Amino acid sequence: MEARSAPLGGLGCRGLVAAPGGSPVLRGVDLDVPAGTRTVLVGPSGAGKTTLLRAICGLQAIEAGSIELGGRRIDRLPAYRRRCAVVFQEPRLLPHLDVGENVAFALRAAGARRAERRARARALLTEVGLDGFERRAADRLSGGEQQRVSLARALCAEPDILLLDEPISAVDANRREELRELIARLQGERGLTTLFVTHDRAEAAQMGERVALMLEGRIVQEDEPAALFQRPASPVVARFFGSANVLRGQVRDGRMSLGGVEVPVPGPDGEACVTIRPERVRLDPAGPLELRVGEAAYTGTWVRLRLRGEGLGLEAMVPPSQAPAAGELVGVALPLEEIWRIPDFEAVPEEGRRAGVRPRGGS
Amino acid sequence: MVERRLPRTVGTVAVLLFAAPLAVLVVQAFAEVWRYPALLPQRWGLRGFEVAFEGDQALQATLDSFEVALISTAAAILLAWPAARALARGPARLRTAAIVFLALPLLVPPLATGTGLAEWFIRLGLADTRVGVALAHLTVVLPYVLLVLIPGFNPRLRELEEMAASLGMGPVRRLVSVTLPGIRAVLAAAALLGFLVSWSQYGSSLAVGGGLPMLPLTLLPFVGSDPNVAAALSLLFLAPAVLALLLASRAAREAL
Repeated sequence: MEARSAPLGGLGCRGLVAAPGGSPVLRGVDLDVPAGTRTVLVGPSGAGKTTLLRAICGLQAIEAGSIELGGRRIDRLPAYRRRCAVVFQEPRLLPHLDVGENVAFALRAAGARRAERRARARALLTEVGLDGFERRAADRLSGGEQQRVSLARALCAEPDILLLDEPISAVDANRREELRELIARLQGERGLTTLFVTHDRAEAAQMGERVALMLEGRIVQEDEPAALFQRPASPVVARFFGSANVLRGQVRDGRMSLGGVEVPVPGPDGEACVTIRPERVRLDPAGPLELRVGEAAYTGTWVRLRLRGEGLGLEAMVPPSQAPAAGELVGVALPLEEIWRIPDFEAVPEEGRRAGVRPRGGS
Repeated sequence: MVERRLPRTVGTVAVLLFAAPLAVLVVQAFAEVWRYPALLPQRWGLRGFEVAFEGDQALQATLDSFEVALISTAAAILLAWPAARALARGPARLRTAAIVFLALPLLVPPLATGTGLAEWFIRLGLADTRVGVALAHLTVVLPYVLLVLIPGFNPRLRELEEMAASLGMGPVRRLVSVTLPGIRAVLAAAALLGFLVSWSQYGSSLAVGGGLPMLPLTLLPFVGSDPNVAAALSLLFLAPAVLALLLASRAAREAL
């Protein structure tokens, strides 16, 4: 087997256009994954996440753009020369090989001998928590175990980038956390450049050193997880990350009126759009706003309140112990430092006017 | 267990339906004298086989049939492989139309196709040659092989091939390590069917290869005149089919 050097550089995609089956899915994607870091690609179903991942690893032809990986152009190479390893949504294990041979599949591809394959498979299986599984039949494992085998198989290839396409979604809900932690730990130990695809914003926040949001075939914002939640670039981004509080109004002399309360807003005067995370909206009897609770819904950890006032609708997330009942009048305070003026609120149309931009994903 | 008993019952009925006519054939092949209304022959013997293999015509026909079946099956698989792959993975709307179109040769009696071919084969010097007969058989064998192969290239196989490519496996190793193991059972079924279709061709063999009789052509004249010889030749004719059945059932058991 050839010696595999450490990755020299990360992934860089420029202007990727792809139209699988004739309809455009990627419409000019720019995305960077710095070497050794973990970026999560998040977006609703149909945004083009899987197509982007397939374009990177060479399973989907691109019509325009370039892909660089580890300091070399890879977009003209066939998939088997790109040194990308993929953990697919389904484990895709070979049923005629045992677990060990499945793990060592990349070594088989490189023509390694059986003894070497066995030794590497044993070591990697230990790392993914499947000690002693190498002689088992691949199709006798549980979904979570199969996905661990698939992860070990990808690591065995020592790729320049690890691509994971919703690897957790086929796994039992109560085993997901373990698998997420395992992926994060193994990636960190190896310093593997990694792109992790998910439709779940909570998973994105947890797994990403950086998070890129993809909507309708474009990356619309790419930043640290907290920035996407607190400083969305557009109303659609705010809504995807779970904030219904997108408030429009006029800024005059640096202030904007929210339900009759003047709030300082940075930036120039004129039409503006601000947002505040629902969990930052504070119930405070001394608060300047007085709003009526329209609806109180228990979501498992938080109670989501829909608050109505004169010319103002807000959503708030509060702990169950502090939750008022529907119909009550409550005092509300908006911490000024939590109010974010959305820079780009006209470029992207409002939610609901166009199909496909509706935010989805876990709550 | 109930779920095991049902297939066994079906299997038993199938074996009986298959075995009962065969048993009569076996008896007939070894019956030197068998007059109505006796249930069993009056005299047993090997006369049928002796007459059948007088001279080397029947033996030659068997070898020719075998060779022609091998050639036409191999050619059909080589041609059908890329076609089946493309059809299975292409747009679904095209697939149905293409399959109907490709199955058209099966709707025309092979004797008619063969007669048309004979015209050309005589000019090309292919008439009465093994290659010529194999080519004529190909017109019938190819659609069968293609139709059997198409479902072998299913999305699951494709997913595995993609996985292998993404892990750095080149096309040749991928064929050996992923595609062939994945399609093995379907390929075996296609090959067996192709072989048997060629082996039992009568019409097209007659049309383009009357001067190079295949086994069915040798057998047929005896059916009316001497059932004893016809039965002996039929046993020989049946041998590959029985063998194929045994192999197929074994392969199916392995696959499970």
